[in-house]
Amino acid sequence: MPASPLDFTTLAEHRTYLLKIARIELRDEVLAEDLVSDALTQAFERREQFRGTSSLRTWLTAILKNRIIDVLRKQWREQPLEIESDDEQSIERIFDRSGHYIDMPTSVNDPAELSQQNDFLAAVQLCVDRLPKRIGQVFVLREVFGSDTKELCKELGLTSSNVWVQLYRARMMLRTCLERGGFGRPVMDGK
Amino acid sequence: MILISCQHASKLLSLREDEVLPFGKRLRLRLHLMICDACTNVSHQFAAVRMALRAIRERD
Repeated sequence: MPASPLDFTTLAEHRTYLLKIARIELRDEVLAEDLVSDALTQAFERREQFRGTSSLRTWLTAILKNRIIDVLRKQWREQPLEIESDDEQSIERIFDRSGHYIDMPTSVNDPAELSQQNDFLAAVQLCVDRLPKRIGQVFVLREVFGSDTKELCKELGLTSSNVWVQLYRARMMLRTCLERGGFGRPVMDGK
Repeated sequence: MILISCQHASKLLSLREDEVLPFGKRLRLRLHLMICDACTNVSHQFAAVRMALRAIRERD
């Protein structure tokens, strides 16, 4: 239990962070602002419940995630998933008939080092934004909000194989998108 | 089958990011990665993307 009760200023210090992850998830500035404000208000109302066993940021992120999931469930109910066969085909097309990669995937010698380069981070962000919306939303819940597949199934009402397929598509589309930029390496020709 | 295609391996590489692979799948993937540069590269790409997203999240 924290020594003193949380005040709103302490909570609001995390606003920039929450807005950043909400924007990546929602791709909607206004909605992101709204949900972050909701989450901060809710957190303030429930500040007695913060036990300090997790960090304040983790606690706030969980509250924001719940708000986001409410909205996504509603949006998805109103607009059922279309079969995105183009996406499926674009993934299949990177393999030949015997299931080998047609183009050799770019080698990444040091993933940790690459993941600190600003150019690469910008490319990842851009490519995540370009994923088909719903696939991107599931992927960001997984990779940015840290939900595991069990949570995703429960929270979004999806089957585990559906979640795995969506995460698979997201990752394969992301790497294809990043390959276009040389996967963090300067592109040598105008390919 | 103990030998798998790159296409199959790519699915296991993604699954590995989300779940602990059962023994059989883990073995098949490991054997495939031992002989396949393409999939080894993809496994590093997945790692780089995951770390990049963490960096994007944590940077102020």
